[in-house]
Amino acid sequence: MNKKGAEKILSVYWFVILILVAGGVFAMVYLFYNHPYDIRDLEADILSNKIADCLSEKGYLKSKIFYQGSFSLSSENFLNKCNLNFESKEEEPQYYSEIQIYLFENLNNPILEILNGNKNLISSCEIQNENYQKLAKCSEKKFYTLDAENNQYLIKILSIVRKTEKNVK
Amino acid sequence: MLNKKAQIGETLTWIIATLIIIGVLVLFIYSSSLLAKTKSLNILELKMDSSEEVNWVEAKTSFAHIKSNNLNKEIIDNWINKNEK
Repeated sequence: MNKKGAEKILSVYWFVILILVAGGVFAMVYLFYNHPYDIRDLEADILSNKIADCLSEKGYLKSKIFYQGSFSLSSENFLNKCNLNFESKEEEPQYYSEIQIYLFENLNNPILEILNGNKNLISSCEIQNENYQKLAKCSEKKFYTLDAENNQYLIKILSIVRKTEKNVK
Repeated sequence: MLNKKAQIGETLTWIIATLIIIGVLVLFIYSSSLLAKTKSLNILELKMDSSEEVNWVEAKTSFAHIKSNNLNKEIIDNWINKNEK
């Protein structure tokens, strides 16, 4: 009789342990997979690459950007010409991009500057380290290109992505 | 009396075993939360995994250098590699 009672207690105990272990495994999986991947660095890099692709091809400025000695690109038509969409579900704009085009002869003053998106994000680029994950991520790229007359241009692209809520917890 | 002593010993074994199980679980839960914080994707890690490293922007510069017969190459490369921010 006593032995049967002990067996009953033991089976309840095993059920408690089983629930405890299952709960533990659930907690581990939930904690690990509930934490989002921070892909903002990657997104900012991809945005910079897309903008670079929009401006230059095979070492020359694209004809839709630069035609017969003048640039047809401006801050107003930049998104349209480069097939980009800065809209997001959030109220505040989540992207910013800045393009500066310099002639080789004058690397101090850009001949063309294109700004688009949320300018408030620029300040985030001053601090880019792991302690400030909630700030927007920046990617700056520079490259060299020519026009049809072999004039030399240097282009600087700054891309900023915020999207903090979706990427950081 | 002897029987009671054996029971105490057995109960103690179970209690310690339970505590060890709970301890291991807590340790694993804590380590999974730490691991979750290290999850991130960046382009450098992706480059290391891929056999071919392609930098589109550098390729554009290289193309332009070839087309211009490396005219002012050093000055241009210095400007590109200069970190301002």
